[in-house]
Parts: sequence; structure tokens; C-alpha cells
Amino acid sequence: MSTLTKITTVESKLFLRDSTSAVMTFALPIGLMVVFGSIGLGEDDPETGITKAFLPVMALALSAALLGLSILPTVLATYREKGILRRMSTTPVHPGNVLGAQLLVNLVALVAAAVMVLLLAALVFDLGTPSNMLGFVVAFVLTATALFAIGLLVAALAPTGKAATSIGMLLFFPSMFFAGVWTPGDLMPSWARPIRDVSPLGAGMEALQDAWNGSWPGATNLLALAVVTVVVGAIAARTFRWE
Amino acid sequence: MPIIDVTNLHKVYGSTVAVDDVSFTVEEGEIFGILGPNGAGKTTTVECIGGLRRPDGGSVRVLGLDPVRDRAEVRKVLGAQLQESELPEKITVAEALDLYASFYPSPANPAELLGDLGLAGKADTRFEKLSGGQKQRLSIALALVGNPRIAVLDELTTGLDPQARRDTWQLIEQVRARGVTIVLVTHFMDEAERLCDRLALIDGGRVAAIDSPAGLIARVATEQTLRFRPSSPLEESVLTALPDVTAVSREGAHYVVTGTGNLPYAVITTLAAHDVVAAELRMDQASLEDAFVAMTGRTFEPAAG
Repeated sequence: MSTLTKITTVESKLFLRDSTSAVMTFALPIGLMVVFGSIGLGEDDPETGITKAFLPVMALALSAALLGLSILPTVLATYREKGILRRMSTTPVHPGNVLGAQLLVNLVALVAAAVMVLLLAALVFDLGTPSNMLGFVVAFVLTATALFAIGLLVAALAPTGKAATSIGMLLFFPSMFFAGVWTPGDLMPSWARPIRDVSPLGAGMEALQDAWNGSWPGATNLLALAVVTVVVGAIAARTFRWE
Repeated sequence: MPIIDVTNLHKVYGSTVAVDDVSFTVEEGEIFGILGPNGAGKTTTVECIGGLRRPDGGSVRVLGLDPVRDRAEVRKVLGAQLQESELPEKITVAEALDLYASFYPSPANPAELLGDLGLAGKADTRFEKLSGGQKQRLSIALALVGNPRIAVLDELTTGLDPQARRDTWQLIEQVRARGVTIVLVTHFMDEAERLCDRLALIDGGRVAAIDSPAGLIARVATEQTLRFRPSSPLEESVLTALPDVTAVSREGAHYVVTGTGNLPYAVITTLAAHDVVAAELRMDQASLEDAFVAMTGRTFEPAAG
């Protein structure tokens, strides 16, 4: 078994043992689907511009945001704070393997959450499936990479695990607002819409909803996600410290 | 050839000189101590040996290799236990050891190592549930799991209770008995005196002296002190007349005799000849701490214990 595989196996076990990450990743999207699905949010509503894509995409995007903005940076900053990365750098294995393993574990958790949301949407709430599956996958991957890149930057800048959690939450709530979680569709005030189009969570949710409804995600959205991934990811890579 | 060769090591952090000028060699199979107060540059020195830091001057060779340039090779033969390095809270003892074993080309048997370190019953216990002593033993196990030829152990008994410290010392001696060369960083005098074959006294980023613990003490131990209460009155002149005695003073009912050479023998036989018994007899010899004070001209700060 290769070193990265071995580390990833151990990190997966640790991820599942941590009740916070397991609950946030899996229970939150299911809970959102069940609660809002039961009160009827999910039907197309021409007056507000909310489509049936909104509910599953929101559940999915929240999972991605929690993993990328909170769980990933908290774990990595804690590993650095407690000297876990430093300890590994005394062995022949570079601590970069832990970072890679964490990215893989979080990505797999996100894909698992996405599969659950898609199954619930299709089988329980009759919301159908993404009509443009390829566009949906592209939007999903770019949303994940953009949020994870931000998470890596938080992990690079936060001095402690607790600080990473705080910074993550500070980013999380405005992200939800600009993504239109509380003001979906046309309910979003017009001044906030330009920010929605390019903020990572907002651009991600728009791209995913467009694909769900059958069209191609907007170029602005995809470009914004790609720029965040590349630029923020590069800054994170330059500033990340192992100890 | 020495197994570790440090020559004129110099390391600065910003404007702070952490290590000014440190040179020493470590021979294969010995326990080499690096002793000094907090902030003396001990940890930085061993971090350079382990290749975790790049020296700003001088050279470090481990088995003839450069720890920075030949990073991968050095890490295969050198195991390190670092200060304040923990593990993920929820990893079990067996998982941690198994994971670290997988990092090395020919690792030790993790199960055997757990037995040797008295952790066999804790294999399935999570790191967060271990006691301080158990965490420390696991940390030593991780340093040894790669079957290293050299183990660097930094402040490994800090924070342990007296029993756990003694157990850890015994463990270090067992590790050495397997042929592993040990570099032990400590600010505990008793630990250095008990374990080390040779040690370097480091102060202010410089080596104050290198010798065996007994050799270091002998350098400053020119005088001994005997303190006792005579069982019957005794003229001081009886003792001052002895060639080995340099001074006699009285503290209440007690006599304090200082001198050189074979002082205890000379004093006790003289007392016996006068039918005097020395009650509450105590002898003070120089300790490693006295040696440190004499060689650096300053005391260990109290925090350094």
C-alpha cells in the first residue's frame, strides 16, 4: 500500500470518528432536504424565480462550504498547532502527504454527501435529477476546488485550530448570504447580485442550479470559480507553513 | 569515525542568535547529553542534526551525511522525539505506530515495540485518553519504529511524575542496550547525571564544556564538606590539625568541616581515636549543577529546575 493510501485510510477513520465533521457533512444536507422539502420549498415558483433546483443545490453547497471553509482548515491548522506535521517531517515521509490525504478525504465526503442529496431529491422529493449532468459535474468540481482552496488559505494563515474555525465561520455566514441561501432567486436585493455572481458559494450555487435546470452554467460563474481556485490556491501554497 | 559530527554550528532567527558556536562529536553506541538552561540553544542544535533546520554557519554530519541535503537518507537512520509534538486526538496507539512503521524501509515490529514500551494493553486506546507518561512512551516508540541507528530525544521527561521519569530512564537504557546511539536533550541535572555517558554543557549558544558527568564534576570538585554532630565535646584544633582539613566551623551543635583529599576517612578515624561518634553525618560533594555554575558563571534559572 502506498504511503498516501495508508495515510488517507487513517485520516478517513479519524474523519468518521469526529462526530462534528460526520454530522455536518451528512446530517445537515439530509436535514435541510427533509425540513424544507416537507414544507413545499422545492416546487418551481415563477414569482420568486426559485426553481426546484434550489433545495438540493443549497444542501449540496452548504456541505461543500462546511467542509472547505471549516472542517478542512480546522484539522490542518490543528495538526500544525499540535506539531503533528512537524513530527512527520522527522520521518522519511513529507507532511505534504497529510495535506493530500485531507483533501482526498474531504473530497470523498463531499461526493458522498452529493450522492445522498441527489438520491433524496430524485426518489423522495420528486425534484428530478440534473438535466445537464456534465455541466453539473463541472460546476460541482469547480465549486469544490474553489472552496477547498479558500480552506487551505485559512489553514495557512490561522495560527491555531480554534482560529481556523473562527475565520472559517466568519467566511461561512457572508458566503451563505451572498449565495442567496436566505434570499433565493429574485428575493436577493439587487445590490448584492453582482457579488453573488462571483463569490465562490454564490457562483457555485448559480452554476449548479443552471445545470440542474438543463442549461450550461454561466461563463462568469465558472470563470470566477476557476480564478478563485488558481489565485487563492497559489497564495495558500506559498504561505502554508508546516510548523 | 564519529556517528554525529557538529562543527562550529551557527543559527540565527531574525536578530536572535539561537546557536552561536557549537561543536561536538557523538560516538556510536553512547548516550550523549545536551544539557543547558531553557533558551540555551539545545533544541535548535538537535533540530539541525535532524535536518529540520538549515544551519546558517558551520557543518553538521550524521553518518557522514548532510541532514539538509541528504534529507531522505538521514531520516531513515535517525528517529526523533520532539518537544510538544502530539498526535491526532482520535488515533489509536496501534494505528499511529502502524502508520509510522509504514514510512520506513525496514521498520521494527510495532506489536513488539508496544510490548517493550509497556503499551501492549493500550494498543486500541485513543491518543486523547493516554496519560502523560503513556503519550511520552508512544512518542519514544514512534522515534524507534523505523529501527534507527540514532535516536534524538528532546526533553522527554518534562511534565512527568517522578515514577514515570524513572521508568522512562530505564527505557532509555534498554534502547541503548540494543545498540542505538542516543542524543538526549535535557535541562534536568539528575537526568543527565544518571543517563549520559558524556555530555555537552551548553549556555548562551556556546559549549561550556564536554566531558563525562563525573569528569565535569571533578573539574570543580576540589573541596568536600562534612557536617555532623559529635556525640561528646571535641576540641576544634583536633580536626584543624589534620593535613586534609582546610577549615572547621560550628553551626549550633554541628561541626562543618571542609577539606580536600580523603577527607571523610581522615575525619572519621580521628573522631574514633577520641571516642567521638559523628551523629547525623552528611557529606556534600559537588554536583553537576555546581559544575555548571562554575563553568558558566551563572546559575540555572529556577524555572529550569
